[in-house]
Amino acid sequence: MDSNKKYWKGLEELNNEPEFVEKNKHEFAEPIPIEDVLSSSGLANKTPRRDFLKALGFGVGAVTLAACQKVPVHKSIPYLIKPEEVTPGVANFYVSSYDGHAILVKTREGRPIKVEGNPNDLMSKGGLSAQAQASVLDLYDYNRLNNPMLNGDDASWDAVDAFVKKALGVIKGNGKKIAIVSSTINSPSSLAVIADFVAQYPSAKLINYDAVSYTGIIQANQNSFGKAVLPHYRFDKADLIVSFGADFLGTWISPSEFMTQWVQNRNSKSLQSKKMSRHIQFECGMSNTGSNADTRILIKPSEEGVALVNLYNELSGTTLPGSKPLSSPNAEKAVKLAAKELQAAKGKALVVCGSNDVATQTLVNAINAQLGSYGNTIDLDNYSNQYKGNDAEFADLVAAMDRGDYDAVMFLNANPAYDYYNAKAFTDALKKVPLRVSFNDRKDETSVLCNVIAPNHYYLESWGDANPIEGYYTVIQPAINPVYDTRQFEQSLMVWSDSTTKDYYTYVRNNWDKNLLAKGGLSGQKGWETLLQTGFVKVADKPAGNYTFSYALNGVVQTIMNQAAQLEASGDNKMELQVYQSIALRDGKRANNPWLQELPDPVSKVTWDNFAAMAPNDMKKYGIMQEDIITISINGYSVDLPVLVQPGQTQGTISVAVGYGRTEAGPVGKGVGQNAFPFRSYKNGTIQNATVVSWTKTGDQHVLAQTQTHHSIEGRAIVREATFKEYVKDPSVNSGTGLNHKKYESLWDEYERPMYDWVMAIDLNACTGCGACVVACSAENNIPVVGRDEVHRRREMHWIRIDRYYSFNDGGRAVTEEQEISAMKDLDDVSVIYQPMLCQHCDHAPCETVCPVLATTHSSEGYNMMAYNRCVGTRYCANNCPYKVRRFNWFNYWNDSRFDNYLINEHTHLVLNPDVVTRFRGVMEKCTLCLQRIQAGKLKAKIEKRPLKDGDIKTACQQTCPTNAIVFGNRNDPESEVSKLLRSERTFYVLEELGVEPGIGYQVKIRNTTELEA
Amino acid sequence: MASHNESIIREPLITGENITYAKVTEDILRPVENMPNRAWWIGFTLASLGMMLWVFAVSWTFWFGIGEWGLNKTVGWAWDITGFVWWVGIGHAGTLISAILLLFRQNWRNSINRSAEAMTIFAVICAATYVVSHMGRPWLAYWPLPLPNQFGSLWVNFNSPLVWDVFAISTYFSVSLVFWYTGLLPDLATIRDRATGIRRRIYSVCSFGWTGSVKTWQRFETVSLILAGVSTPLVLSVHTIVSMDFATSLEPGWHTTIFPPYFVAGAIFSGFAMVQTLLLVTRKVLGLENYITMFHIESMNKIILLTGSIVGVAYLTEFFIAYYSGGEYEQYTFLNRFTGPFWWAGCLMYGNNVLMTQLMWFKSVRTNIFISWVLSIVVNIGMWYERFVIIVISLHRDFLPSSWAMFHPTWVDFSVFVGSIGLFFTLFLLFIRVFPSIAIAEVKLLLKSSSEQAKKELLKEGHQEPEQAEFYKQSLNKFDSVTLSEYEKL
Repeated sequence: MDSNKKYWKGLEELNNEPEFVEKNKHEFAEPIPIEDVLSSSGLANKTPRRDFLKALGFGVGAVTLAACQKVPVHKSIPYLIKPEEVTPGVANFYVSSYDGHAILVKTREGRPIKVEGNPNDLMSKGGLSAQAQASVLDLYDYNRLNNPMLNGDDASWDAVDAFVKKALGVIKGNGKKIAIVSSTINSPSSLAVIADFVAQYPSAKLINYDAVSYTGIIQANQNSFGKAVLPHYRFDKADLIVSFGADFLGTWISPSEFMTQWVQNRNSKSLQSKKMSRHIQFECGMSNTGSNADTRILIKPSEEGVALVNLYNELSGTTLPGSKPLSSPNAEKAVKLAAKELQAAKGKALVVCGSNDVATQTLVNAINAQLGSYGNTIDLDNYSNQYKGNDAEFADLVAAMDRGDYDAVMFLNANPAYDYYNAKAFTDALKKVPLRVSFNDRKDETSVLCNVIAPNHYYLESWGDANPIEGYYTVIQPAINPVYDTRQFEQSLMVWSDSTTKDYYTYVRNNWDKNLLAKGGLSGQKGWETLLQTGFVKVADKPAGNYTFSYALNGVVQTIMNQAAQLEASGDNKMELQVYQSIALRDGKRANNPWLQELPDPVSKVTWDNFAAMAPNDMKKYGIMQEDIITISINGYSVDLPVLVQPGQTQGTISVAVGYGRTEAGPVGKGVGQNAFPFRSYKNGTIQNATVVSWTKTGDQHVLAQTQTHHSIEGRAIVREATFKEYVKDPSVNSGTGLNHKKYESLWDEYERPMYDWVMAIDLNACTGCGACVVACSAENNIPVVGRDEVHRRREMHWIRIDRYYSFNDGGRAVTEEQEISAMKDLDDVSVIYQPMLCQHCDHAPCETVCPVLATTHSSEGYNMMAYNRCVGTRYCANNCPYKVRRFNWFNYWNDSRFDNYLINEHTHLVLNPDVVTRFRGVMEKCTLCLQRIQAGKLKAKIEKRPLKDGDIKTACQQTCPTNAIVFGNRNDPESEVSKLLRSERTFYVLEELGVEPGIGYQVKIRNTTELEA
Repeated sequence: MASHNESIIREPLITGENITYAKVTEDILRPVENMPNRAWWIGFTLASLGMMLWVFAVSWTFWFGIGEWGLNKTVGWAWDITGFVWWVGIGHAGTLISAILLLFRQNWRNSINRSAEAMTIFAVICAATYVVSHMGRPWLAYWPLPLPNQFGSLWVNFNSPLVWDVFAISTYFSVSLVFWYTGLLPDLATIRDRATGIRRRIYSVCSFGWTGSVKTWQRFETVSLILAGVSTPLVLSVHTIVSMDFATSLEPGWHTTIFPPYFVAGAIFSGFAMVQTLLLVTRKVLGLENYITMFHIESMNKIILLTGSIVGVAYLTEFFIAYYSGGEYEQYTFLNRFTGPFWWAGCLMYGNNVLMTQLMWFKSVRTNIFISWVLSIVVNIGMWYERFVIIVISLHRDFLPSSWAMFHPTWVDFSVFVGSIGLFFTLFLLFIRVFPSIAIAEVKLLLKSSSEQAKKELLKEGHQEPEQAEFYKQSLNKFDSVTLSEYEKL
């Protein structure tokens, strides 16, 4: 039905008024003046001058303002095709090896960012030294050569190859000799390549040249037993260790391995079974090992041999001709007592000596044979390949080069122009060699003298293998494409010797297929892939044989006595000087590594310098103060070094570290300290580390950047120790956890920690103070290097530090107070204790209450957190921290040109851990208990749908510690290792009486000082 | 007011002859209404050079980072917080004079309260600059304020003494400013009435349309009393809270319950010393000897002696408690003040604050202008060292000897501190050019009752007890602004 209804809008429509009809024709009822605007008064009109100026002004102003901000251009190239193995944000670990140790290389997005010990490594069980930890930084060192060089100019590899091959061709024709000078190579594949090269050029010869060699031991074993090898020492099998100047926990042969062994008879487990080895150290300067010894006896280098002769006499009951008593009655008595103890520990005793003298080491062999050490604590059958250098070989080479016998010499990882005792003789001789090739990674002191530099890959870019201990083969695989235009030296040798194998990877592969995989019961592609996951193969140990010593000792003693007489210093300006390797820099090859330069020396706590360590009594005698510069000279070579007061330094001696004074290392290492290598001398076929020098005061001073300047505990119970005897009687001795332990009521509410309570236990008895944790922490947590001046201003950024305290013994009483010490006369008898100190993650943290902006708070997992973004930098938290473990970003270290020299630049930014943010200027930071690792561990467990297991998460410091002194875990789990350790009677908490409830428990240091002192 | 004759034995608060209301106005406004003299220009040049040094050093710090100061991982506060506490302490005298002395009807305060209050404000400004500049990230200086924000539910930490500090200092500053400005209103109106042109218009705005009616005066008096009431607790609370920055911490040497009263006494002590330093110069340069008399000087010296002795007792108590508590860290800290490497700072602190002020037991010392001035400087040096000793000597050797370190200031530390003094004096010198440095209205109140000429009238009338009259005459001996010869006739 149609609707006939009509609706109307208004009366006008209803009535249809003409006005309405007219209006209805238009879209809008009222006219809009759009036409007017557009035509007459609008566009058609001229723009008034004022309006124009306004518009112009606005326009220019706006454009100017917009242009003020420089828009940063971020170039980021996403993966177009994602590599299968790379997931952004997830780390990959590759097995490889460092110095023979099986390691894991952590990579993120294709960049190696951290080196970690392979927990299955047979040598140090996952522990790694500070050097190894720091090695990852050198990968990104832009001072490494970026390309090969020919006659001092950048060149292409083709040009270099053509030049070298032509020169080698000439040599092949004229029959002159070729030397490949390398620090010890124990890689089976490298040795095979060199053998191939020698086959091609028969006049070529590999000369192992170690900056610090062990020729003395190797030759002594040749003399004594007909085996020219470096034995494999077994400190784990020794109940009594007597070391004569061997720094086996610090720098001697294989320190991280020895630390692992040494601690096995001294750690919590051993102590709980009431067993502890005893360690006596006779030495001149305070070494890291000596500082950890139960008993430490001071002897001059000149008396080391004499002491050994006396020890031999005591043990054998004979008197070797030429024997004489020691000058120090104390040392004389100690030798006698040590002999008695050694007798009692026969078969479980080990005597080692740091001397590089053949005669001395032969005598040590005689002593060890007397003690039945061979086959027990010394293994000559599964010997070490770590150092094979022969000092005589190199000395002969220098002489032959000088004669013009050699037409080519190649250097691999060897820098004799810096570290040879007589560098001038070497450089002079080198000038007479027409073809000088360096494979070294940078323009170092030797490379600059070479006409060809064919830079080697860094080990993280290389294929290869190693054979540190006979029967133990580790593999090296690259974790990144070469950063610079370098080439592996094996590849270079293969090219120059026209090898049929085209690339070194194939060569290594073939070598393993043919010779090595089978040793581990592996074969073929599958075997190779297994190797690349496990990292090594191990042949079953040969039974260690017992060797009888039958070398005539009379001549040996004669030599020792003659040398001792030569070393005796007479006159006021003469002193015996001993050179040693520092823990951080060792032989100085890594001098351009700022992490190592800033690593405080364990004993002296000095960074960025070497120094002349002198006994406090000597300094008093000669009126020298710490940091006074003295000139030390020998045979026309002299250096100016600042003096360091070293308690425990033998009077009449000076100790100086080698590895400093590099002139061509790169901006970090150049000019840091003075070169002490020239103080060594070549005698009886080996390089000797002690000599007599003359010294004079200069009157100048040089500031030493020490991270610790007060060295005594002032009688405070912040570190605690006991003797082994006391411990056996009462395991809780001195820990304060015994019956008298007072527990105070807390005024604070407890936090809830429903799932986890992350805590840590640190065993002071296991910690040797080596500092590997400090570097590991720097690498893991992107800790900036601040340099010498800033360290001197006490602003180092390390989140973990190792406190070192001296205590002087005064007739059996420990003297720890500054004022008493300054009044003491005898400052020789000093004991050392190390205490790693990091954020204690207090349950009632004093830092948390004082922060005005809540930048530091407590987590529900028991640790203390730091929100960098929230921090405004009042530093109140650091002031209120009783442990002084908080670190402030005084400058914008990551973007400040003044810190460029410490390798904080865009190259080394590649080593940064992307899981840890870098901190901006003005922000407080501190140990986080590696919470990124906690998070990763939790996520991993979650993905694998399992609960977190004890030991899944390891902090960086714990991971690298060769002695497992640091244990981290969940206190809510009573069965976790850390819970058990914290329940042990030895546990104490530093400054417990403040009621801050620290989360890090320490375990009392035990000294096995029973017999000798009694 | 003439009916409110004051007892003759009270010493006059205004000296000089023929002092009329007009003369008071003339005298006090002379520096405001005339071109500055040479002394002012020299002072101002020096002060503004200092202020520019401050601007430079603080900008340097902001640009490069706090690392430009001598601080380190062990000593996280040094000259910054020393300077902060010092300046806040100095400010306290102003509030005490204006509030507490007003409530106690201490009329002698009328001559000095204006300058003292101005000094309070400028000192708090100097202190506040330290609060900001000592921060690692000063551009975030507003974060300790409990402001609504978009950072999530981020709030400040009400447990932190630094947050209490923020409240304490900001309250203190705003109340002091209001109190000071309120007091200025009638005087600004006086200037307005005498000025012409643009100056008149400016002062007209500044005087908030003061009419001088009885109602205005009555309200003025009421507001002053109320503000005095509000300010009085602040005198005690501000430095109490500042002291809690230290007292609530764990540091040996800081962790002390005696700190609140000890700091308040110390603050008043140093504040009065600073007032003394300034006024002794001001009264001479501006010729205000008749208004700031020897009576004022001696009274302030007495307060300095009293508070200095309180501080001395606090020092002794600290040492006793350190001994008595048996706390080895605390014992070491206090011994270290004398035997440690900063022994000289400890000696300066105890020597200047306690030993030197004991000289003020002698009237001849109290009434000697030059010695008073020197002692006031000595006190301020001593009080600076007190804060330095508490902050740096406590921090530099606390619990773990491995962290013990020295503090060496850099040129930036020096410049910021010297510069802050420059800033203070720049502000003060500008102040005496634009505002009356003595409260005109309040001094006029005293003219009829407590001035020397009023007393002289009384003596002339001769209804006084002879002993009292004699006592009064004797008391005038110390005044340097009284002509004694006239009294011989009476």
